[in-house]
Amino acid sequence: MSNTHRLTELFANTKGTTYQCDTTNRIIIQFGETRVSLRISDFLTFKKRVDSVDIHTMIFNTDDAYDVEVIDAPRTGHLFVLGLCDLIALRDLLAGTRFVLDLNTLLNERLYSTLVF
Amino acid sequence: MKDLVRMRTSLKEEIERILNEQIKMEAHSSAIYLAMAAWCDRNGFDFSAGYFYKQSNEERNHMLKLFNYVSDMGGHAISPEITNVPQDFDGFRDVFELALQQEIAVSNSINRIVGTARQLNDFATDQFMQWFVKEQIEEEYVARRAIELFDVIGEEGVGRYMIDKAIPKITYGDVEAQ
Ligand SMILES: [Fe+2]
Ligand SMILES: [Fe+2]
Repeated sequence: MSNTHRLTELFANTKGTTYQCDTTNRIIIQFGETRVSLRISDFLTFKKRVDSVDIHTMIFNTDDAYDVEVIDAPRTGHLFVLGLCDLIALRDLLAGTRFVLDLNTLLNERLYSTLVF
Repeated sequence: MKDLVRMRTSLKEEIERILNEQIKMEAHSSAIYLAMAAWCDRNGFDFSAGYFYKQSNEERNHMLKLFNYVSDMGGHAISPEITNVPQDFDGFRDVFELALQQEIAVSNSINRIVGTARQLNDFATDQFMQWFVKEQIEEEYVARRAIELFDVIGEEGVGRYMIDKAIPKITYGDVEAQ
């Protein structure tokens, strides 16, 4: 594996895939045609934004303004414009990613801490 | 694979969340004490007003102490939004009873944080919070003594005037050491 591009796949679903880059310490989100790379703190902020959308209102409000949700990915200059299905898929992708990140923390805590030198 | 989450901060998400809640609670306390100071000023209780101004400052310092900790540990410290500050009170004694209730609520909240920190093996936060555990012993003592003055001195005649004068003199500590 090339040392300049250490990518590990974290999670994937039908609409996208996420990776961790150990060279840049960033999380890469590939979602449809869009690819953004985020610092971990920005990733967590982005996840909070995606999670805080009120899906119920999107479904039941017939006003056009509620058909899509625009979410800003911090410090990337990229706006995600999401319909209901995309939003649910992105939410799933980010939740799965978060789970793998937490699992990795757990593994580091329990298994690898003695291996650091 | 690097542990990016841990590299960012030593605080677990739940700990960061409850510390931010405590930041908000201390800021709320500070605002309540400020309203109490103003009420005392309006009603001629000059010494008590001074006491509450001092309390208000202390609560802001508590808030900052927590805020700096979260920030220093790599967490996201949230500058709190303060709403629901009572601006009027039923009477002189009620002000102090409310103050005691507020301190008890804070003590309970501090205890819950220590409990959670221990559950999650976050010994740094546990130790950091011990300062607050100790502080609350003093805070509750002073608040309780203030209410006792109403019974000891009595509110009739010049009673309220005497109570007001006695309020700033309440201190917690070893009598012999003073
Ligand atoms: Fe406090
Ligand atoms: Fe206090």
